[in-house]
Amino acid sequence: MNGGPAITVEHLNVSFGDSHVVRDLSFTVQEGESYGIVGESGSGKSTVLRVLAGLNRDWSGTVTILGEAQGPRRDKAFHRAVQMVFQDPYGSLHPKKTVDDTLAEPLAIHGIGDREPRIARALKDVGLPMAFRYRYPHQLSGGQRQRVAIARALILEPGILLLDEPTSALDVSIQAEVLNLLQALRSERRLTYILVSHDLAVVGHMCDRLMVMQLGKGVEEMQAATLSARAPVTEYAKELLTASEGFRRS
Amino acid sequence: MGVWADYLISDAPQSRRQARLGQFWRQWLALKRNPLAVAGLGIVVALLLVAAFAPLIATHDPLAQNLDRRLLPPSSAAWFGTDSLGRDIYSRIVYGARVTLVIVMLVVLSVGPIGLLIGAASGYLGGWVDRALMRITDVFLAFPKLILALAFVAALGPGLENAVIAIAITSWPPYARVARAETLVIRNADYIAAVRLQGASQWRIVLRHIVPMCLPSLIVRTTLDMAGIILTAAGLGFLGLGAQPPIPEWGAMISQGREYIFDQWWVATFPGVAICIVALGFNLLGDGLRDVMDAK
Amino acid sequence: MSIAPADQPLLEIDNLRVNFNTPTGIVRAVRGLSFTLGRERLGIVGESGSGKSMTGRAILDLIPWPGEVLADRMVYRGQDLLAMPRAERRRLRGRHISMVMQDPKFSLNPVVTVGEQIAEAYRVHHRASRREARERSLAMLEAVKIREPARVYELYAHEVSGGMGQRIMIAMMLIAEPDILIADEPTSALDVTVQLQVLKILDDLVTDRGMGLIFISHDLHLVQSFCDRVIVMYGGKAMETLPAAELADAGAMAKRHPYTLGLLGCLPDLDHRRDKLQTLTRDPAWLA
Repeated sequence: MNGGPAITVEHLNVSFGDSHVVRDLSFTVQEGESYGIVGESGSGKSTVLRVLAGLNRDWSGTVTILGEAQGPRRDKAFHRAVQMVFQDPYGSLHPKKTVDDTLAEPLAIHGIGDREPRIARALKDVGLPMAFRYRYPHQLSGGQRQRVAIARALILEPGILLLDEPTSALDVSIQAEVLNLLQALRSERRLTYILVSHDLAVVGHMCDRLMVMQLGKGVEEMQAATLSARAPVTEYAKELLTASEGFRRS
Repeated sequence: MGVWADYLISDAPQSRRQARLGQFWRQWLALKRNPLAVAGLGIVVALLLVAAFAPLIATHDPLAQNLDRRLLPPSSAAWFGTDSLGRDIYSRIVYGARVTLVIVMLVVLSVGPIGLLIGAASGYLGGWVDRALMRITDVFLAFPKLILALAFVAALGPGLENAVIAIAITSWPPYARVARAETLVIRNADYIAAVRLQGASQWRIVLRHIVPMCLPSLIVRTTLDMAGIILTAAGLGFLGLGAQPPIPEWGAMISQGREYIFDQWWVATFPGVAICIVALGFNLLGDGLRDVMDAK
Repeated sequence: MSIAPADQPLLEIDNLRVNFNTPTGIVRAVRGLSFTLGRERLGIVGESGSGKSMTGRAILDLIPWPGEVLADRMVYRGQDLLAMPRAERRRLRGRHISMVMQDPKFSLNPVVTVGEQIAEAYRVHHRASRREARERSLAMLEAVKIREPARVYELYAHEVSGGMGQRIMIAMMLIAEPDILIADEPTSALDVTVQLQVLKILDDLVTDRGMGLIFISHDLHLVQSFCDRVIVMYGGKAMETLPAAELADAGAMAKRHPYTLGLLGCLPDLDHRRDKLQTLTRDPAWLA
């Protein structure tokens, strides 16, 4: 572990029609590292994640994940190694499926047996009581739904977890619980994280290194410590940092 | 009752089945709060019962002719009167419920799945599959439904089975359209992205994840359409292209009563009322189901 | 318009309650909230379900059915809102008390240009010619720091960005020159940098025009840095009311309500990196 790079992205470009949403982006994430991508809306940060996950197939450049160069389509082995947690806990769970159905689906797709103990353990790992197993999403709160989404992502035991604003739709007290859960899971399982967020404090808390994106470009890559020291180099990163500190009366 | 309600309404179901039943129970409770929907359900259930127990409910043989008793007005002997061949109209309407039900069921069972599959596949797969399937639906949609059905029956020959086939062929395209429109929204949902990310095949996604989401609106639409199907069937029957005599089909009965409508009003009126009530029942039920099933 | 004496509060509210009668029982969204508003920036902060949005809506009488608003006292500059006929209350709305909602996309009419919508808002409350209304609207667009107001006047809702849309909403709400502006998460849908521009405009307008602002938000940092006073709400009740500056004052923490402390504690903080964030334990006694 903590060996080579888990993810290498070189000269990534993504366009939707006329708009060029990711422009020549390159970065590397080491195995076991937690890497943040920060930016405002339209910065292309979520698009990068969707390219890595294989959800977006129109891109150019080189993406290497766990030593394998990736094309637009991914195989089953890839899906066991890379999973994702989405932003909106109300949109990421199938409304007509119970928690049990949701967790059983990846096991069924990959033909994995002993579902009973696996589902039970997955629920326990994310801190949900067994009583929730046969509930529908509408019977769960936002935080509980996000825990189910994390359980779903982890049930295939991937090494890499892509997190797309996993707590931005949650109240701060629930955010703290989910972030703690993600931290604990990472150290237990030595997971590699890529966390996309607009919230610098969340990224600063969760990540070792981060990239600031603006209008599709990687503006600045820095250590989390640089953020705490308020010492970014570029104008835009500084501006973002100041803006996140709240309102200032001049 | 109390134990059952607790079991069904439980926040912590112990099994898949309990969760499902609980879901149905909640929908039923919601439906029960809507008096019009309950009335609609009542009519539909009554139709089912009448069809099932027709021999017990009918007072006469629906096919027995008695030319001595032609065109008798409603009386205690013949509740809804008799028709031009002396057949008891009440008994014919009771047996006609079976014919109506068979037509509706056959059409729905063939149209629902076809429309759903074509629409879901078209919407999810996109590209040339979508274009090809949607152009075919457009062709069907370009004709008025009854005219197209008429053309098919004319080509296939009159009869109940052919009427059913004709109605089925002409009524799937709107279902495919609805399912496709719904799928276009659903395919971009995060929960679909999540199953894609688990490596599910396209068919698995369409059948197990998209179809269940389209189902409620399709059920609602089918229920609302049943009235239309009954009317189309009655229309074909009226034109002599549907059920053939002596089958007691309501539309055909109206058609036969047409000649006497001014002097012997009951011959055409009672089957008309039956069509009206049943169509209303399905419509009310469909409206109620829409409120319940599309709630989320 | 009569000028109220400086010491008279704009709004006095005593024991405000908002109840929803549902088939499964009464849901009490706000349970006994009291506060006064002067010419100041009053923040109402809380998590989802705290009743903060319902409070704003209750003041404007915008609670949807089956909700009901009850209060012992609800007075706007000496006028009893509870005793007021509905029609009069409606006239007050928009003219004297206005509201800006979270997402401008859903608040603007898509088939009328934004400029005409602002002009319309002016003409509803003032006798004015079209021409005059247009002039006022252009001036208002300028006041909310929109460059080329004449061009923006002709745009439709879908042609403006989120930040500009929110500024247009503010212009529309402020053109009638209300005394009180209720802003319900006005910047939550916006990017941080845009957020600050919008706040700056609100801030200037409050200072220049002497409005009272009720700023409803879930964001403690923002409320603390923007408002003068803060009400912390939980479960429909005010946990405490305090000067905003004290939220950041480490020395004043001993005085704080445990819920406020809990909220502050669970925020990730760039200056103090911890392995584990503090989590919030809710005490049922808070709602007793």
